[in-house]
Formats: sequence, structure tokens, C-alpha cells
Amino acid sequence: MNGDHRGIDTAPSFPGIAARAAETDATGRIPLQNWKELTDSGYLRLFHSPDIGGTGADGPTQAAAMEALARACAGTFWAATVSALLCAKLISTYGDTREHARLLRPLLSGERLATFAVVEKTAGSDSGTFRTTVRPAGPAGSDFVITGEKSRIANSPAADLAVVLARREKLPGDDGPDWCLAFVDLRQPRVQRYAIPHMGLRGMSWGGIVFDDAHVAAADVVPVPIEELAEGMAWGWLFIAFAAIGIAESALAASVRHARQRVSFGRPLAHMEGVQAQLAESHAQIDAARLLAHRVTCERAAGRSARDLIGMLKIYATEMAVGVAARAVQIHGAAGVTSGHEVERLYRDAQMNVIGGFASNRLREQVAEGLGLGPAVYRAFDWVTPSGLGRDPVGLDGLVHAAGDGA
Amino acid sequence: MLSHTLANGAADADGGGLSLVEWARELAGRVVRPTAAERDRDRRWDQGIFAELSGARSGPGLAGPLVPRALGGGGLSATRTCALLEGLGDGGRDPGLALAVGVHAVLATVLLRAFGNPRQQRRYLPRMASGEWVGAVSLRQTQGAAHASTVTARPAAAGLGGWVLSGELDLVAGAPVAHHFLVIAAHDDGSRTAFVVDRTTPGLLINDVGPVAMRTCPWGQVMLDGCVVPEDAVLSTVGGAADEVEPLLAALDWVFLSAPWLGVMRALTRDAIADAREHHLFGRPVVHAQSARFTLADQAAQCELASGLLYRAAGQFDGGGRPSREDAAAARLFVAAAARAVTEGAARLPGALGTTGDHLIERAHRDALFFAETGGGTEVLRPVIAASLLGIG
Ligand SMILES: Cc1cc2nc3c(=O)[nH]c(=O)nc-3n(C[C@H](O)[C@H](O)[C@H](O)COP(=O)(O)OP(=O)(O)OC[C@H]3O[C@@H](n4cnc5c(N)ncnc54)[C@H](O)[C@@H]3O)c2cc1C
Repeated sequence: MNGDHRGIDTAPSFPGIAARAAETDATGRIPLQNWKELTDSGYLRLFHSPDIGGTGADGPTQAAAMEALARACAGTFWAATVSALLCAKLISTYGDTREHARLLRPLLSGERLATFAVVEKTAGSDSGTFRTTVRPAGPAGSDFVITGEKSRIANSPAADLAVVLARREKLPGDDGPDWCLAFVDLRQPRVQRYAIPHMGLRGMSWGGIVFDDAHVAAADVVPVPIEELAEGMAWGWLFIAFAAIGIAESALAASVRHARQRVSFGRPLAHMEGVQAQLAESHAQIDAARLLAHRVTCERAAGRSARDLIGMLKIYATEMAVGVAARAVQIHGAAGVTSGHEVERLYRDAQMNVIGGFASNRLREQVAEGLGLGPAVYRAFDWVTPSGLGRDPVGLDGLVHAAGDGA
Repeated sequence: MLSHTLANGAADADGGGLSLVEWARELAGRVVRPTAAERDRDRRWDQGIFAELSGARSGPGLAGPLVPRALGGGGLSATRTCALLEGLGDGGRDPGLALAVGVHAVLATVLLRAFGNPRQQRRYLPRMASGEWVGAVSLRQTQGAAHASTVTARPAAAGLGGWVLSGELDLVAGAPVAHHFLVIAAHDDGSRTAFVVDRTTPGLLINDVGPVAMRTCPWGQVMLDGCVVPEDAVLSTVGGAADEVEPLLAALDWVFLSAPWLGVMRALTRDAIADAREHHLFGRPVVHAQSARFTLADQAAQCELASGLLYRAAGQFDGGGRPSREDAAAARLFVAAAARAVTEGAARLPGALGTTGDHLIERAHRDALFFAETGGGTEVLRPVIAASLLGIG
């Protein structure tokens, strides 16, 4: 794509990571060189202020860097950004930057990897179904233990540290929030982990964590009202939107290349108007998403919430990228469905973003609420039959035949 | 609700803390909106409304925002002009009138600003900026020569100088009330020249025909029956339209005639949210129905996405650089699809098609279909974008 990335000269680029993207996908592991390249580029520090070890990059630079890494390798982008952006923001926002500097510093230096564990085996969209609980370790003890199983979590098999959403077992008289974030060291015996094979973003590890009365220091249990968490979660929606945009851009770039090279009916596909129309629609849609993504990144970098806009962006960008990747596969013909081909990988990667970090339709609910429509109202589906629309009609001769059929 | 600054992120603030979008929205809400449905039904253009928009007391007039101040215009940036048109679409709820204003205020004036010689600029621009003279353009001529030229230019008889223009133009926005017309005519060798042709030119005739949509825009068909125009009617160079006037005219159409639609989309979305609160279906409030909620969420998103593309493309006209045809075309391609998606989404909500109110949904539905075909429609916009992506074409 000859997309003009204006004004992003200071943002890093990731040629080595891009060159290894196919290998990363095939082996299901992020090569060590990728981590080195990430650390050297300064990517892990961009999103944070200097007081916690960040470089405080401005909005355009943050956006350009996320877009560039997502284009290079979506799996690597996810793994790095869950840890260095999402988890570090959660710790610095809801934790104490002085107390938790010991956790933040290694995440920003790339020595440690973090995971954000919210969802369990039950319906991930509904926090009411989550059971993982933190309780005091002993009657008078100041530390805590955590029990429960988190599942389908990005980075969880490989991570060193988990930011866990858990219920608080409350003692009588405790009228604090029902929920907390627990910062749990995963390198301890009472933590088991498993990997789940997955369709796309294969370089990123993904799976479950079982906490069996695992230890959590008292200072690492932060009570948080669950409504306030959406603000932190929005960092997740934002980076996932960038993942989608990067994937879509790569898919379009591959399509343009292929259309120029592949000859059919005596001319390159590029001269076929049907192909051109697909490229043009993809281009306009990617740009629409990209401009909104850059706008909201600047809002966030300036300290504003922009949560509703980020919700809209996540929905649009992730579904858009699936469409763009599907067009790319079509333009590539059989090459596009051959294992190991770039667009085959992008097609698998694209779908992951629609589900990860809140599936689209669950998010639409939140956006609707932000439009002033009130919270979602769930009621058993029972209004069609009473309205007379729940029955098949009688035939043209009325009840005579209907009765006959029943006999 | 989304905060105002977010919803209008790209528009800059005017004095008094109101953004220009808000200011224009308020003005159009007062001046245009009350009679929009009635004028639409009667197919009527109201010169008084245009005069009032042109001579707005408290802010820039809508007739010549891009005309330099020294020539009596508003001297606004392209970005602010885009905001003005967005506000006009939103507050006025009248896509036809907004089209007429956009054609005059942007297409007709900017071509003279960009390509007129000093004499032409002094003659036309101050009176266009004040709203006294209306400039008209055929929407058939805003896509270069994608459509075959219907007007020819031949040198006038020896000794007389000037040119003889013959042919006809339809879809001329502003024709019945215009003082002059932009006409692009083809020479025998296929090259094309842009002319500014005064209404009083002998042989020029205007027929009262127009499309079914955009009924509040004054439409007409212009017949040129051997019209002799002086050398000074030539805009820029003879035979130079393909390199000069046509690319600019196309980009202006794609960007600035889309701007009122962003406003219309915002108005429809706001209405739909308010309506959803009032109506019930199956005994439940519509705001409890998930499909309605999702539709509204997607409508709001379409507004923000369209806004980003539109203001990027408009911003490229500021700062002296060359605007990108690819970005202008992408903005139009997206806005036209978004306008249809938002209108359709709004129409599907229970209670949308009421017998009272100003029937914006019905009018917008009809007009959005028309809008999607102007500027060349997908059949011109997609090849333009693809050519730029592929480096061919
Ligand atoms: C790539 C990837 C990475 C992930 N990383 C993490 C992570 O780091 N941490 C973590 O905690 N989790 C993670 N997840 C889990 C993810 O958050 C959940 O999969 C997601 O929230 C949906 O939950 P679910 O899969 O149980 O689907 P369900 O909740 O069962 O939903 C199934 C479907 O029903 C729809 N649905 C659900 N509720 C509603 C509703 N109220 N209205 C309308 N439709 C609804 C959903 O949109 C979805 O389409 C990840 C998932 C993926 C795919």
C-alpha cells in the first residue's frame, strides 16, 4: 500500500519482526530476536510517563508504533502490547506507582511478560459468571491467596505476572468493592498453566491458569469497583483495533502486490475492475478505521477517556479487517488458502480480534449505553406468542383443514 | 452521551466557545429547517433563505467562505468550511439546499479563486461571496471526462475573437437562479477548456428540468445554442481543463458536497436515539431491544468514521500542499455508503416513518441514493482509488 504515514518519523519500525512473521506463526513461538528488537526499539516504554520508566511518547507516535508493529507481526504485537501497554496501564492506573514500580519496571524493560486474566471457562462476556476469589491467607495473616481458573487468556502460558480480576471474600464489616485486581506472580508452585491451540495469532501464547490457593502479597490486592475497570479495559480495545488495522493493511498490501504480478487473460489482475473495486473499498475502510484509531490514541495520550469512541472503533476495525482479509484471500486465489501463505495467516489472525477483549456484539451493548440508551435490559424471550405471531397460520380454507390434520 | 468535543473532534472553535459546526447548525436550524419539508414538497428554492445564510450577522457568510477576505469573502480554511457545511446539513435538515449552497460556495467560487485571472476574480468573487450572484455548475461535469463531453467549443468567426459554445448540460445545480455558469467544453482535438458563461449570453437558455431527488435545490438544464463568449470567459488556459480545472473540481465535489451529509447523518442518529426512547414494540421500550441498540451503536460509529475521512481530505486543501485525489475519493466513497447505511438503519427503527415531523428520513433516503451516484458514484470513485493504489490507470 502506498499509504502515506505522515508525521510518524519518530515511531519505530520492525523489519526483523516482519521478516520472521511466518516463522513465528508456524512455530507458535515468538523468537528471542523479536523481544530484543522490541526492547531496542523502545516500543515497550512508549505508552508511559517517565516517572514509571516510560518515554511518554505523544499520541501520533504511539499510534504509529502500534500500527507498525501490528503490520509486522500481529502475534508479536498482541503479546508485547498486552504486557507493556494493557497490563502496565492497569497496574499504574489502579495500583500505586511507587509500590508497584517493582512490577512495572521489568515489564517496560522487557525482562518480564504480563497477562490480564479476566475470563473463565463460562461466558466471557458476563462477569457475573466469574468465580475466581481472593481471600486472606490466614485468620490474622496480612497476605492473601487466590483460587480459581482463568481460561482463554492471551500470554498466560508464557507470562511471569498476571493481573487477575477476582472476587474479594469479604469479612463482616468490609463494605469495599466486591472485586479486586490481584497482581499474581505466576512462577510459584500453586499455579498451573495450560496452552490452548488457536486459529490465529499463533505466535502469541494463549491458554488457561489454575490458581490453587496461590500466594498474593497484601500490597498486590487492589480493590476496584467493576464499573471502573472498563476504563482500563479500553486500552485493550484500542490495541486490538490496531491489531486489526495492521492485519488489514498487510492484507491490502499483499493484494496490491499480487494484483500487479498475477497475469490472467493476458493482463495483470490489476487491470480487472472487479479486483480494483475490492482494493478501493478495502482502502477506504482501512483509512476510516485508521484515522479514528489515531484520533482516539491522541485523546487517550492527552489523558481523556474516549471510551465510547474506542468501543466503536474496536467493533468497526475488527469486523472490517475480517472483510479485508477475506477479499485478500479471494484475490490470491488458491495461494490465499495455502498454509504458510501470508494472507492465509492474516485471514486466521483477523478473526481473533473480533472475539478477543470483548466480542463485537457485547461491545455494541456498551456503545449503545454510552449513547444514552440506558443499560442493557435482559428479559426472557416471551413476547412473540402472546402477540399472535408465534403460530403457523391456517390454510386458505381456514380451520376445517387445520382440525382435520390434527385428527 | 458523547461529549461535544469528541463528536466534533475535527472542527475548530469559533469565537464565543461555540464550534463552527455548532454555530452553523444553530443558524441553519433557525433559517432552513422550519420550511425544509414544505419546500421539498413544493420543489421550491427560497432566495431569501440563501440571502440570510450569505449575510449572517454573527459569523462567516455561507456564500463565500473560501473567498479571500480582500475580495469580500469569509477567508476561512477548508477545514472550517467543511465544518460550516456539516453544520448546515445537521441543522438545516435539507440536503437539496445544502447541495445548492455547496455548489455555489465551494465549487463555483474556488474555481475562480484558483484559476481566475485578476479581472475575473474582481468581477465575480465579491458579488458571489455576498450572495448577490449565484454561480452554477453541472454535476455531470465534476468527474473530468468520465462522461463524454456534451458541449463543444469552436473559435468564433475570424476577427471577432472568442469562442462559440454549443451543446447542453443537465443536472445544473443553481441554474434557475444563477448569474453565471461554469461550462467545460471540448475542442475538435478532444482537449477541453473551462469557461465562465454569463446568464445573459445570447443563445443561452435554461429549461426547468431536474432530478426527482434533492428537490429543494434549484435545478435546470442549460442549452447553449451557438453562444459566443469573449476570450475573457476562458478560465485558466485554453485546452488545459484536464490538468487544471477538472481535477480540482472533482476533489471539491468529493469532499465538500459530502460535508452536509455528515451533518445529516448526525441529525438522523440523534433523532433515532430520541425516537427509540419514545416507542414501544411487543410491549417493551425500543431502547431495550438489542437489534435497535446495535443499529444505533453502528450509526454513531459510521458518523465518526466518516468524519475522520472527510476532515482529513478537507484539511489537505489547507497549508498549500496538493490535496490527494485518492483521499478525496475515499472520503466520498465512504460517506456515500455511510449516508445510505445510516438512513436505512434509521428507517428500520420502529416508529421512524411517522406521519408527523419533518420526514427527514424519507427525504434523506431518496436524496442519499442520488448523492451516492453523484461525484461519479462507485464506478468512478473506485477506479480512481485503485489507480492510485496500483500505480496504473
Ligand atoms: C485472541 C483472544 C485473546 C483473548 N485474550 C484474553 C485475555 O487476555 N484476557 C481475558 O480475560 N480474556 C481473553 N480472551 C477471552 C475473551 O475476552 C472472550 O472470549 C470474550 O470476552 C467472549 O467470551 P466467550 O468467548 O466466552 O463468548 P461468550 O461470552 O459466550 O459470547 C458468545 C457470543 O455471544 C455474544 N454475546 C455475549 N453476550 C452478549 C450480549 N449481552 N448481547 C449480545 N451478544 C452477546 C458475543 O458477542 C459472542 O458473539 C481472549 C480471546 C481471544 C479470542
